[in-house]
Amino acid sequence: MKVVVSRSGGFAGIRTTWEVQVDEQPDRSTWAEMLSGLPWDEVSETAPQPDRYVYRIRCAPHEVVLGEQQVHGPWQELIDRVRGVNEGH
Amino acid sequence: MTGSSDGFSRCTIVPPYLLVRLARVDDPRLAAAAEAARRSLMRDVPIRELRAAAHPSPPSAARPGVRGGAPPVRGRLDRAVSDAGGLERLPGRLVRREGQPEGADPAVNEAWAGLGDTHSLFWNAFERDSIDDRGLTLEATVHYGRNYDNAFWDGERMVFGDGDGQVFNRFTSSLTVIGHELTHGVTQFTANLAYEGQSGAINESLSDVFGSLVEQRSLGQSAAEAGWLIGEGLFTDQVQGVALRSLKAPGTAYNDDVLGKDPQPADMAGYIETEDDNGGVHLNSGIPNRAFYLVATALGGNAWETAGQIWFDTLTSGTLGRTVDFAGFARATSRAAVTRHGAGSREHEAVIAGWSAVGLGGGLGAGSRAWSDIAAGTGTASGHVAVDPVPRPE
Repeated sequence: MKVVVSRSGGFAGIRTTWEVQVDEQPDRSTWAEMLSGLPWDEVSETAPQPDRYVYRIRCAPHEVVLGEQQVHGPWQELIDRVRGVNEGH
Repeated sequence: MTGSSDGFSRCTIVPPYLLVRLARVDDPRLAAAAEAARRSLMRDVPIRELRAAAHPSPPSAARPGVRGGAPPVRGRLDRAVSDAGGLERLPGRLVRREGQPEGADPAVNEAWAGLGDTHSLFWNAFERDSIDDRGLTLEATVHYGRNYDNAFWDGERMVFGDGDGQVFNRFTSSLTVIGHELTHGVTQFTANLAYEGQSGAINESLSDVFGSLVEQRSLGQSAAEAGWLIGEGLFTDQVQGVALRSLKAPGTAYNDDVLGKDPQPADMAGYIETEDDNGGVHLNSGIPNRAFYLVATALGGNAWETAGQIWFDTLTSGTLGRTVDFAGFARATSRAAVTRHGAGSREHEAVIAGWSAVGLGGGLGAGSRAWSDIAAGTGTASGHVAVDPVPRPE
């Protein structure tokens, strides 16, 4: 199982992608629990705000697109963890 | 609750100004309440009334020259800079208002000066009184988040991160960024272009254009002397790049082994279809950016005086649809040039040539000739006129 976080937009318009192979993580059961507990089907469309980031989060079969202003709670926690694994902290 | 369902304006349990304040809260713990407040506001009150509630006029004593019911003094600069203190909560702590002395924080001082320079361009060059043309207070928040590599416009204020120090410096360090963000406010109050796809890329391009013009006017640079860069100095010296974008040569602002190459196309042949970035609004904006650069440099002199005026006329014409595409926007600039300078004028021809060079001249040239013929009394009643001097929605 793989989770991919892609961030686009922002003032710079530079796209950055982070991904994690969940099965290779020492705490994979915690990852699986977190991913299954995300409100994948409860994301509503929101009006874009100029220069804010846009996050696309994929974990088959799920995919959501979130404006930066929608990223909080469990989504923020997921993004922070995925970035943390990629950035080595 | 005894009120009807059609609005708190008649049954005000929560006053509008409190709803506005709540709707602007950016604290995750209050996300549900903020969203509910936004829904209430959008359902019940026109946006301009909300802004009036959010920004009530200060007492007359605080506005020199205003007495009692006298009309406010147009063109009066009013700024407010707040400090988020490294948190992602808005608006943060108010640290400077008009009339207060400069402090020691460079981010506050840069934002303060940048707001002034941007206000000066719109007022002195285009006679627009702040972003709403009614003297709205220009509000900015600095030190947003930790290592935050971004600046944005949230519909109410400009917000600036400090950068991470490795790739990005603080975002207030470039005047073009401040001008860019404030122009999003002007666009919101005028054409209100939808922030996705081609209309979103035009929205972005207008912010780059006027952001660049703010800097050019501040430095006293002619079109020929200007660098036409957006975000010059934002990258640290560890990045191989001079800026985030170039209006002169989109796609050449940076080429770094970590960040990659500046992906902006310079013409329609390079147009990028993507679902990211709200449909590539920061990518395809390179196309109208270059068109403006070509128009401005063809006309020479100060870019804000002629080319900038045509673009400003277009933005404020009232004829742009919210989802206007590149071709529609090009036609609108052509009409604006005709309205101000006449069909077949040097300015009109420069606009046509600029759009033609980026692959968007279709119909504009033929329209120019047809309209010139009509203006000269040699056209036919049945001739097609692509450049319509009569404003119509795009």
